[in-house]
Amino acid sequence: MTHTRILLALALTGALALGVAACGSDSKSSSSGSSSSSSSAKLGGSLNGAGATFPAPVYQEWGARFKDKTGTAVNYQAIGSGGGIAQFTAGTVDFGASDSAMKDEEITAAKKKGDPVHVPTVFGAVTVSYNVKGVAKGTKMDGALIADIFLGKVKKWNDPAIAKENAGAKLPATDITVCHRSDESGTTKNFTSFLVAYSKEWAGGPGSDKSIKWPTGTGAKGNDGVAACIKQNDGAIGYVEQAYALANKFTYASVKNKSGQFIEPTLASTSSAGDGLKVPKDLRFSPIDAKGPQAYPITAATFLLVYQDVCKAGLDAAKAQRLKAWLDYAEGDGQGVAKELFYAKLPDAIHTAALEKVKGLQCNGQPIKGT
Amino acid sequence: MEAATISSGGSPALGRPPLSRLPDRLLRWALTAIALGVLALIAYFFVRLYLESRPVFSKYGVLDFTFKDAWVPSKGQFGALPLIVGTLVTSGIALCIGVPVAVASALYVTELAPARARQPLTILVELLAAVPSVVYGLWGVFVLIPKLKPAEQWFSDTFGFIPFFGGSVAGPNYFIGGLILAIMIIPIVAAISREVVATVPVEHKEAALALGATRWEMIRMAVLPYSKAGISGAAMLGLGRAIGETIAVTLVIGNAPEIAKSIFGQGYTLAAVIANEFGEAASDETHRAALIAAGLVLFVLTLVVNFIARYFVNRSQRAMARSVPEGMAG
Amino acid sequence: MSALAAVAPRRRRADRVMRSLLLAGTLLALVPLVAVVYYLLKQGAGALSWSFFTSDPTGRFLGDPGGVRSAIVGTVLIVALASAIAVPLGIGLALYLVEYGKASRFANVVRYFVDVMTGVPSIVFGLFIYIVLVLSGIGGNFAGWKGSVALALLMLPVVSRSAEVVLNLVPDSLRESALALGAPRWRVLTRIVLPTALPGLVTGSLLAVARGAGETAPLLFTAFAVNTTTWNLGSQMNSLPIQIFNDVRQAQANIVERAWGAALTLVGMILVLTLLARLIQRRSRLA
Repeated sequence: MTHTRILLALALTGALALGVAACGSDSKSSSSGSSSSSSSAKLGGSLNGAGATFPAPVYQEWGARFKDKTGTAVNYQAIGSGGGIAQFTAGTVDFGASDSAMKDEEITAAKKKGDPVHVPTVFGAVTVSYNVKGVAKGTKMDGALIADIFLGKVKKWNDPAIAKENAGAKLPATDITVCHRSDESGTTKNFTSFLVAYSKEWAGGPGSDKSIKWPTGTGAKGNDGVAACIKQNDGAIGYVEQAYALANKFTYASVKNKSGQFIEPTLASTSSAGDGLKVPKDLRFSPIDAKGPQAYPITAATFLLVYQDVCKAGLDAAKAQRLKAWLDYAEGDGQGVAKELFYAKLPDAIHTAALEKVKGLQCNGQPIKGT
Repeated sequence: MEAATISSGGSPALGRPPLSRLPDRLLRWALTAIALGVLALIAYFFVRLYLESRPVFSKYGVLDFTFKDAWVPSKGQFGALPLIVGTLVTSGIALCIGVPVAVASALYVTELAPARARQPLTILVELLAAVPSVVYGLWGVFVLIPKLKPAEQWFSDTFGFIPFFGGSVAGPNYFIGGLILAIMIIPIVAAISREVVATVPVEHKEAALALGATRWEMIRMAVLPYSKAGISGAAMLGLGRAIGETIAVTLVIGNAPEIAKSIFGQGYTLAAVIANEFGEAASDETHRAALIAAGLVLFVLTLVVNFIARYFVNRSQRAMARSVPEGMAG
Repeated sequence: MSALAAVAPRRRRADRVMRSLLLAGTLLALVPLVAVVYYLLKQGAGALSWSFFTSDPTGRFLGDPGGVRSAIVGTVLIVALASAIAVPLGIGLALYLVEYGKASRFANVVRYFVDVMTGVPSIVFGLFIYIVLVLSGIGGNFAGWKGSVALALLMLPVVSRSAEVVLNLVPDSLRESALALGAPRWRVLTRIVLPTALPGLVTGSLLAVARGAGETAPLLFTAFAVNTTTWNLGSQMNSLPIQIFNDVRQAQANIVERAWGAALTLVGMILVLTLLARLIQRRSRLA
């Protein structure tokens, strides 16, 4: 008898599992159906996004508040800008995120699903953070010095090149450990384009891109990974977004900007980078190495990526509505929330342009209804 | 229905009515279908991987892909040499550390340990295999790397004159990766070695002891020569495991696609690069192809290694079959 | 024998040295186990609390990171479905090989390729499923069940290999006497062979399940990840290994603590499965 029972049990397990899977897909479609008919105040359902780690802290905070407001769960996975663009292009996510604008060939690749739209959200500072016992924050560095450190030419913390600008600071003979990104990252693109501007050797060697051939150092995934790398190694230096630096109480450098001033990354100096910025129509701009005398030079803008016609790109009407609401939130209430996590809101001119882009999104040729 | 089958089963087998043989045929077909299905699935798996990897091989050629030292995806450079070197170096370190320890434990458990301690020791060593890769990685990042760094630095300073040892020590590095892999292959190498050692004929051992050999001499003269091939096979299986291991290594290798000058420098492995990059490669056909090609290289490496392993293990089994008297086997 | 007299000092010393070396090797092998368990308890136990198991990760950057409920639910569901695929298929395959295929050419080919499958690195299965099921957009994008399929691919050869060994241990005399009594083949299989081999089959399957539960790589870009708990295998799902993998690479102390807690939970689950498997194995001895 036992054998039949066992076979039965096996068969049942299989059937049950299939049933669960089937029910799963059922409930999914029914939930999205019901949400579209439900009241507009509570959108419900979910949105899936992936991409840059640079703005992840603020996106996750937005997500939590957006859920309280609309009932829609925004699942944002911080996998890096390169991953964000790739998954956005492959259509596996509802929106992508990157903190360097897509390159022309990436735009071409994405065209298969429609016209990609860049929606800038916030500005943030790429800090040059370090973990050296006895060295306080505010070590002065210029682009050339940072490039030499990341080239592996400046190997110790008491190197004369560092001491030169920092008279009076006690610099130990600790080895420098460079922490950099291993994934394709907009933060890397922004950071290295700053280095390119100040170091011929960097420009002729590693250059600037989302991933480069690093001359030295330990690779880590995401801003979070680099932060962990800095934290775990005495003598480490790396580049991370300011929220990561502050959350981990890192010390970071004051960096010399275009006007020759050493600027500490703060909300104010990050905002200053947006002053008088010329922005192209498709909003693919970068505030790196801005002119303003008070501007922090390694300031980056970050973007959400969506398709001009979200429904033709594969979303259903209900999801389109949620996505629109999410973008509205990012450009609306979200802007006020940003500073709590030390991101700067968009400068007015760019903000207006971003709102325009969101307004222009379509679902099968029709404007997406607001909530 | 059950009763009916039993009654028909009770009649002479030859005269069974065809209807009652239907379940027999059904079962046979179903099981054959499963076997065919699995085979088809495996075939599809390989064909698909091969097809998907073709763009990179046709663009760069097998040699360039394998022997070029430049892995910069955003520039479209896919030379996997640093990854292959990283894979081989970490696996090599794993073998150097893991195999002696595993074989020692196998010999101790089978030949020296008090009978009561054998079972618990065996289970404990096997439990090493129950710890997931990601947990070893976690432990490696927060315990091994910081705790071992001073020792590594001392070692590197003291023995810096030996090639591949000098220079400054990076936190995550080849050595840490190899050490974690060593821990992960110990259970499998130990388990197979134990089996192999356990099959050494008692006569051989008793003969050695009767001649006045000490325990160690018995092991050296009777056990080791007899099980050499089997232990080599075990080591190769461990190597196969080490080559393909992904997550733990990803966390402690440093993820830098370069060939470090010392074993205390950062590197990268084939498996780690796939884990880190395949989310970014979705829309870039060449990049995706390059990662799949890395997977194929990895797979070919494990295949060759496993093939050699099986050859050794089989040889030792054949040797056993020849010399083990009836009733002694197992 | 003069040789015996000469045995003494040098050889005995060599003997003692080598024996202690072997013992040292054995103890050395156990050091990592002890160390891992020690640190898991030391760092992880503090993270465990009621809310750790009953709340989802918040994803919030500052403040409370939340617990791992969604990861536990995800792991259980994904592994359950993977087992529901791999165990019947694996045992079916082994039954075919032992009962029908035997030493035929076809059976040997199947056997060889199943062996080859065991050598495929787990990340490659993840990559394969990502290409075949995720990029093609079958049934949505990332989904729990796709992770299950990737895990099932990994578990299938393990189940089938161990099942084959166990089924081979069922004495032929049992089969022959049943057949001689006129029982049809399928009844011999279901009434004699399977019940006899059952404990061994369960042990092998449980070990495969334990193996699958700890795997990270096949889930990376198949089930992907999500913070909220979902019972829907058709949507993105969290899992313990992925949660740990993501948390390890964070710098914030409270998130790292969650990684330790999640690791302790995962190792606990796997340990229970493993010990259960050994217990069943012990209580049954194929005669």
